[in-house]
Parts: sequence; structure tokens; C-alpha cells
Amino acid sequence: MSKPIYPQNQPLPQPQLQMQAQTQDQSQKQGSTTTQGLNYNRPAAGIPDQVYTPDGAIKPEWDYLLNSLDNLGSKALKERQDKARRILRDDGVTYNIYAENSPSNSEWELDLVPAIIGSEAWSVIEAGLLERAELLNLMLRDFYGERTLLKQNIIPPEALFGHGGFLRACHGIKIPGEHELILHSADMVQRADGTMCVLSDRTQAPSGAGYVLENRTVMSRVFPSLFRDSHVHRLASFFQRLRHKLISLSPSDGQARVVVLTPGAHNETYFDHSYISNYLGFPLVQSGDLVVRNGFVWMKSLDGLDRVDVILRRVDDVSCDPVELRSSSQLGVPGLLDVVRAGRVIMANPIGSGVLENPILLKYLPEISKALLGRELRLDSVKTYWCGDPEDLTFVTAHIKELIIKPIYRGHSLKSVFGGDLSQAETTELLQKIRHQPTQFVAQERIDKPHVPSLINGGLEPRPAILRTFSVAADNSYIVMPGGLTRVGNEVSSPIVSMQAGCPSKDTWITATEPERISENEANEAGQAELEASLMSLPSRVIENLFWMGRYAERAEASLRILRTVFMMINDEQAINKASQRILLQSITEVTGTHPGFLNATDEQLANPEEELLLIIKDGNRPGSIKSTLNSLLYCADESKELLSSDTIRVINDIRDALDNLESSLANGLSSAPEEDLDPLVIPLIALSGLMQESMVRGVGWHFLDMGRRVERGVQIMKTVTTLATYIDENASKRTLLNAMLRSMEVFITYRRHSRNRSGMELGLELVLLDDTNPRSLIFQFEQLQKHFSAVRRMGSDTKGLEEEDRVLLEAVTKLKLSRINELAESKDGSRSELVDLLIRLNTLLSDFSNTISDRYFDHRIDPQQLVNTSWED
Amino acid sequence: MRYQVKHITKYKYANKVSHCYNLANLMPRNTARQTCLESRMIISPQETHANKRTDYFGNISYHFEIQTPHSELTITAESLIDVAELRTDLNNDLGISYADALKLLKEMPSIDVIEAREFCLDSPMIKVNQELIDYATPSFSLSRPLYTCVEELTSRIFTDFTYTPGFTNISTPLSEVLAHKKGVCQDFAHLQIGCLRAMGIPAKYVSGYMETLPPPGQEKLVGADATHAWIAYYSPEDGWIEFDPTNDVRAGSKHIVTAEGRDYYDVTPLKGVIFGGGKSPILEVSVDVARKPEGVINR
Repeated sequence: MSKPIYPQNQPLPQPQLQMQAQTQDQSQKQGSTTTQGLNYNRPAAGIPDQVYTPDGAIKPEWDYLLNSLDNLGSKALKERQDKARRILRDDGVTYNIYAENSPSNSEWELDLVPAIIGSEAWSVIEAGLLERAELLNLMLRDFYGERTLLKQNIIPPEALFGHGGFLRACHGIKIPGEHELILHSADMVQRADGTMCVLSDRTQAPSGAGYVLENRTVMSRVFPSLFRDSHVHRLASFFQRLRHKLISLSPSDGQARVVVLTPGAHNETYFDHSYISNYLGFPLVQSGDLVVRNGFVWMKSLDGLDRVDVILRRVDDVSCDPVELRSSSQLGVPGLLDVVRAGRVIMANPIGSGVLENPILLKYLPEISKALLGRELRLDSVKTYWCGDPEDLTFVTAHIKELIIKPIYRGHSLKSVFGGDLSQAETTELLQKIRHQPTQFVAQERIDKPHVPSLINGGLEPRPAILRTFSVAADNSYIVMPGGLTRVGNEVSSPIVSMQAGCPSKDTWITATEPERISENEANEAGQAELEASLMSLPSRVIENLFWMGRYAERAEASLRILRTVFMMINDEQAINKASQRILLQSITEVTGTHPGFLNATDEQLANPEEELLLIIKDGNRPGSIKSTLNSLLYCADESKELLSSDTIRVINDIRDALDNLESSLANGLSSAPEEDLDPLVIPLIALSGLMQESMVRGVGWHFLDMGRRVERGVQIMKTVTTLATYIDENASKRTLLNAMLRSMEVFITYRRHSRNRSGMELGLELVLLDDTNPRSLIFQFEQLQKHFSAVRRMGSDTKGLEEEDRVLLEAVTKLKLSRINELAESKDGSRSELVDLLIRLNTLLSDFSNTISDRYFDHRIDPQQLVNTSWED
Repeated sequence: MRYQVKHITKYKYANKVSHCYNLANLMPRNTARQTCLESRMIISPQETHANKRTDYFGNISYHFEIQTPHSELTITAESLIDVAELRTDLNNDLGISYADALKLLKEMPSIDVIEAREFCLDSPMIKVNQELIDYATPSFSLSRPLYTCVEELTSRIFTDFTYTPGFTNISTPLSEVLAHKKGVCQDFAHLQIGCLRAMGIPAKYVSGYMETLPPPGQEKLVGADATHAWIAYYSPEDGWIEFDPTNDVRAGSKHIVTAEGRDYYDVTPLKGVIFGGGKSPILEVSVDVARKPEGVINR
């Protein structure tokens, strides 16, 4: 074990640690701190390391950090790492990796040791990035305009015409002003000599800025004083400039409407999209939320269509418009490109900007720069050979073992490979592929990625690092985010460092010698953004998902309650008879909607219901099962994530965890007290409903969420009453069924309190149906729906008179109020016919209400299809 | 020669289409040998919004959006076009050799050559492979005039392949056309383009119409004409020259051009996205190509 550079003789400031030191074996604790130092050794010769200067000294900007980390000690660091993980998890930070056998949502990993770049080194990088963005901007304009770079023989025509990102449909499209390229990102590494080298440019829809913000938020919470004392450049002004730039692109005179277009909640970087949209205060939309009409783009919102002026896109070029680009795309907006062409909506980045991601361009960049800027580039690119050039091809063939071979376009079936990893046969095969389509391949030198210290098992170990930078157009140039997304390899010699490979990330600190001054102006602007964000209108899809989230949450709760009630009653010491058991079990089938279930079960099955009950809980493929309902709830939560508080997201995560654990906790069937098996699900659901009541602003989102809840609760009350109280089986115990009804609706205690004076079904039905002080009664649901609907109506139009929704609710409430409890409870020929009639009518009214508001506010999208067969495209 | 062309496309849907977005390449472009005097689109139900523009390849694209629910869509393109007689000034046997053509294509710094090289590359529907190289090679020898090579290739396709409507559709791969030696004009055009590109010669796809004459003694039937497709190859000496492999001729005054591109993908007469419509819409197409006296402008 290595020895610490800095002695560890000061008491740690962490109260938890002190407590532990007191209660635990002190000598052992002492021993561990002295041996577990945070030594970060100078690496072996030949491998660049960002901490050390070429002559082996620690760079000043790293010195303070390493010192501070060492003072903290590895145990405290471990705790901070846990804290960071908790924050990230509670914020719902994910990067979804598409791979077999991996969970769909992968939690974002942040390595607590920041990557540090000193101000002076950074200013060189920054200047290089500005110049590079300016050059790429000119190239983009040239490629979709005059193509002088081709005509003047600066790049061979095949280099442009053969690239899949050159979209002929985008020819001639121009954005007013100086910039075609609004956003630029570069992935870069530091070479052994300390200079930076760009590996690739990201010019379509660069992702990661949201992760940078989140990493920064976590770091400043986990290391408040270290962060403050390190004089780290702040990120806020970059995002203000980004926001300002997007608004300024608007082609219309009125207030600009900017939206963020995401492929959807299942996209790998959805967190990034929703974070950025929230931070900037722009609605997050999916393709179905936008529609082209009359030559403009509109967002479908609750009050109709809102015109969209600027789209910050996170959808790939070719997926943006199925009319003119990839016809199979479900992620685009049909007709979008023609609106873009007319200049009536501005895309950032413009569709077609993916042409700049062509790695062949890296080979010609120095020449292009001389032609367009009149000088050589300051920022170097990775040495690139293009197989379409005969000389390069000869070189690549001879040196393939030392090179990385890449297809020029990401849509290609072949992924990048390092020649050195290939067998002789594989090399021959690869060379054949290259010779068949030489223009489609480049080869690049392999650069040893420089090492940075990473926190691994409580110590610091070297890991290869790569940096993604972010620039945005501003005035007549660009501004660069002072920082970026650093990713580190999983192993000391990881050849590939990428988010796709599940690599951890780091915050990137550009450190100044003096603290940065924050102008008051900047602070104000940030406040303004938040205010506008709260007023912005939402796509109706989000509202619809909130409504359904309310419904699924209530459905899950009702299902769990009836299950628990029945479990308790079946396992009670007072045995219940066969006929009662049948009805109880059938009520589970009805409430959960897992038909046919117990409805036509044999006596054998009714006597041994465990198997079916287990399936009702955990069979995710069965509609109505607890698992399936909760999965739907999670889906709706994902789709409306941007409206949920961080506490709500935390509870949603708990539900997700409980679901993931369900399989193992129920592996041996139900336990002797099965109602307790369900607790891990019940508790977060109760927390969720509490949060919905207590921590949501009473905006339009809340009204729809609670409407969903009320509609569903009404449905469940009617189902329960129908199965347990409308038909009378002489063999069943009336008392048992009444108890089940009261318990599953949580009015058992109230019933007992009142039952000194009255008792039986009359009182039970009154509590469950007509008592408007009981928040679980049917009338209460209808009355709440009335309040919600009139609130929502007030926000929209100001028409007088009753809407259809008002009418059905009014009829329902009136019917309930006018009903006589003794008539409802009266039974004749084995059924309570008054009750049956009432419930049938109320059920119709409730479903009318639900359908009418759906029709009025939600978008009923018909799926698009292609006019002509385009199967040859894929 | 002056022609009036009327091209009607009709879709009948099982269910109502609530709205749709379409792109039509049905209005004839101008070329070196033809001038489109007038052309118009008539759409039913009427389009809510439309935009006519010249695309990357110089074709006329008509974008339109319909917001009226409909179960039948009719798109009519009516045009009046003057087409010039065949160019006869080409040096058939004395022209540039295949070898010189390849050399010039590689080295000549002219803008025309640079732009033509785009048409040497694989395109969405045509990928060069060994089969195409093998089929094309016998017609190309380095010392032979390029024109003669292409002329012979055209004749070979005409002779080796049988015109068989219904055997292929637009998504049939070239390998299948080659294997069965059957297809229609667009298959033969794609095949010849693939062969030319395999030999390093830029080649493009031309869509349009050809005037057909009724059998002797019979009236010409209305709507009996059809859309047609052929090719153009690029010679560094003579520019673009059109051949029609379906009829084994140079494209001349009977060939009316609508659009040109790398392959069918770039010139698709009609494409788009519809919302609703149900399964298997019924498609009806009718084309009329009528000669008009030179003085006629109006229909």
C-alpha cells in the first residue's frame, strides 16, 4: 500500500466520522487512515499525464486539489462519492445504454476528482476552438451553397459527395445573419507535448451540456469549499448566451417561441435534453408534439396550436423530416424541411450540418483553413488518412496495424476498429472492404490518451481522459463554455472512452488565479429565465401523461389495497367461508382488471389462489397486474419528467427499484404474511400521492394529474362496490364482504365509530358513496372533478354556459345527492337493483367525462405512413 | 417538337386521410435540349399550402400540404414542352477514347468535370458491385471511343433483357434484375447507370415520358402513355449524352424529360407522408402525351 504524501494528523471535520471514530475501534480507524493515502504517482515514462509537467513536477493547478483531497482522506472521499451518487440518483440522471443484458436506465457515473485545466492553457484551447468553429461555419455555408472548396480543388468532390451526411435536400438553405453553425462541440485529447488535438467534431445535435451542468451542481454540493477556493470558472454565462442566441434566431416579430426537440424519453441522452430545456426555460417536445400547418411549425398545447420559431434539435439530420429525408423516421416532423427552407422556422443546428462530422475533412482542414481564413489552424486535428486518396490508401495498407479504421459516416454497418486488435484474417477482410469502397473509410493515428487521476476504491489511479467542449455562436464569433465534459476510461488502458461504453464522467474545472466576478446582470438574467419557464405553455402530450400518471398511480394503489385487504381476511384467524372467499378473490380480478382471473375459477383454484395472486402482482406482461400498472406509471413519469420535482423523481426511483426487486423478493412465492411483501411498493406510492398534494404548484399540470387520480378512484370505487355489494350470494357472509369493502376503501375505522347508532350496508354505502366529507367517497371524486374542470376552463377560454364536461359531472353529483340510501341498500331477488342502476349510469357519466376532456385537450395522433413504398431505403 | 403532357395520379384510400404532406417531381425541367413553356399542378382536394422550387439537381419540386380530410387524392400535372431534335454532331467513332475520358475525369480541373464526378459514386439505389463490373467490362476497352462503348452497352442491355411489366417493383435489387434478365425501364436505367459507374463513367437517371404511336390504323387511346426512364452519361469532351436502354436508342425528340438525378430516389414523381388512410390504397395513373402544333400555347 502506498504512503501518503501529506501527513494525516488533523481531525477530520466530518461529524459522522468523529462519531464513528468514537464508537468504533479507534486504533483500527487510526491505522486505516494512515495507510490509505491518496498518493498519485508519476506515471511510467511515455504516457502523458495531465497532472505532471514533462519534467515530472506537479502542475500548480493540480497541486491544491490533490493536497485538499489528501487532507480529506480516502474514507471521507468515499462518503462524498456516496453522497454524489445519491444526488445523481435523486435527480434522475441517466445515460441509457442500448445493449443486451443491461438495464435500460443506467445511472450516470461521476468521478469526484475534477479534470483541471489552468487558465493560461485554457485560453490557448479557447482561441483554437473559436477559430475552428468559425472555419466550420464557413465550410457549412460553402457546402450547401457555392461549393467553391470543390470548384477550387481544395477538397476532392468524392470527399463531399460520398458522405452520407451531405443532404442534397438542404442545398440552398441559409440562416439569416453570420452563422449557419450555431453549436459546435469537439472531442479532444492532450498530446504528450501538452498541445490539444481534436479527435472529432460534433455538429449535428451535440449532447452533453446538461450533464456538464449536473456534474457541476453535484460537485459544488459535495465539495463546497474546495470548489469555492479553487476559483473555478462558472458556466452560467455560457448558457445565458446560448439562450439569448436561440431567441435571437427567431424569424418572427413577436415573442420568440423556442422548443427543444428530443427523440423521446427512451433516447440515451434524454436526461440531457430535459435538463437543458428546463434550464433554458424552453418546452421539451417530441415529434408528435409538433405539426406543420399552413407552412409553419406549431406546437400542440392545451389551448390549441402555438407557433414555433426556433427548434433546438436533438434529433439527427436524416430523421428530421420523413417527407424529404429518411422516410422511415418516426422522430421527425413531416413537412419540416420545407418550412425551414422558407425561413419560417430556424433549426439549431441546421439540418444537414452533420456533413461537418465527416472525418475526411480533418485531412483537408489545414488547406481549407488557408483558403477560407487565410491562415493555418491553431488547433490541431488527429492525423487522418483518407482511403479514397490512392497515396493514403497505400500508406494505410502498409500500416494498418498501427491505425484506427473508421467509416466516414456513422450510419455505416462497420464500427471503428484498431488495426492492431485484428487477426490476420480480419485484417485481410477489412482491407477488402476498404478497397471495395475506399472513399467510405479513413484511418487515424492512435493517440495515447493522457491520464488523469480517478477515484478508484478510495485511492487515486490514472485513467485515460477525453474532453468534449461546447461552443455557441455569439455576435460575430463564438463563445466557448469554460469547462466541458471529461470522460475517463474504465481501465487504465481503455482504448475506447465514450458515454456509449458506460465510462464515468468528470467535472472539468478551468481554474483562475483569482476568483471570478459575477455581475449582477448575470444573476438577474438567470432569475428571469426561471420565471419565463414557469409560464411557458406545455405540449399537450406532457399534460396527457400527467393525467395518466394520476390514473395509474391510483389504479396501483387501489389494486394494492384490495390485495392487502383480501390477504389479511383470508389469512385471518377467523376462517371465511368458500362463497365469501370466491367473491373476495373475484373483486381482486375486477379491481385490477386482470380478467378472466378468478371469475370462472374452479373450486380447486379458489381454495389455492396463491399462484394467480402472485401473477397478478408480478407478471409484467399481463395488463392490470401490479407490475404492468406500475410500468405504465413509470413511463408516464418519464414522459413528464420535466414537470416533476426532485422529490417526486426520488420517489419514482424508489418505485422503480421496488419493481426491480420484486422478482427476487417473490422468488419463493408469497410469504406467510403476504401483505407485507407489498410494503416496498405501497410506501413509495403513498409518498407519491402525498407529494402530488403537498408539493405541486396548482397549475394546469396539477389539475390534470389530480383529475386522472379522481377519475380512476371513482372507477375503482364503483368496481369494488359492484363486486362486493350489488349481488347477494346467500351463502356468503354479508359481514365479511362489507368489511372487505370498508377496509379496501379505508373507511373501516369511521364505520366502527359511527356504527354504535347505525350499522350494516346502509351505513357502509353512505360512507363509500354519499359522504362528501370522506375523500374516498364517490361523490367527493365527482365534486373534485367539477372544481378541477372549472379551474382548467378558466385558464383557457372565457365562454359562458355549461360545457359537456360540466353537464355530465352535474348529473352525476345530482344523481348521487338525490339518491336515498335505504333504497340503494334494499335487496330484492338477490340483487340491489337501485344501486346497480345508479352505478351503471354513474359509470357511463364518468367515462363520458374522461373521454370528453381527452378529446378536448389531448392530441389523438394517427400514425403517419408513407404515400409510396420505400422499402428499398433500408 | 411541341408536346402537351397530362399526368394524372389518383389515390383511393380505405379510410379517410386527415392531412398529408407531399413532394411531387412532376413539372418538367428545362434541359439543354428542351424548354418547358408552361406547367401547372391541379390537386384535389385543394392544397392548403404549397411551395414550388428548383432542387439541388435543377428539377422542379412541388411541395404541398393538404389539411382537408379526404379519401381520394388526385394530382394532375399539365405541361407544354418544346423538345429539340437529336444532336448529330457527335464523333461516334472518332471521339474521345475510354482511356482518355478516364484520365480527363480524374485530372481535368473544370467545374463541369468536378460536378459530374458526383455521378460516379454509389447512390441510394445503385451500389456498384462485381456483377455489374463483370457485365459491363466486355463493352469497354481503353482504346475504344467512349461513345461506342456506351452505345454497345445500351444495345446489349436491350438484347439481353426482356421488358416484363410486373416482374419487378421499385424496391427490386439490381442483382435480381441481372439474375432474371427481366424488368422495366427504370430497372434497365438503374442497371446501365450501375455498369457505367462500375467503369468509372459518371451516369445519371433521367425520368420523363416518351411519345408512343398507336399501331397502324388505330386511334391513339387516351391515358395509354406511361412514364419512362433512361440514362445520361458524361463525356469530358461532349458533356451529357442520353441513351435509352429500353428502346436501344439515343434519347431524342420523342423523349420528354421531367427530372434528373443519381437514381430514382432523387426524382421520385410523388412521395410523402399521410395521416390515416388505412391499408393498401388503390393507385391509378394515367399519362397522355400529345403532339401540338408549334403555334399552340393554350390547351
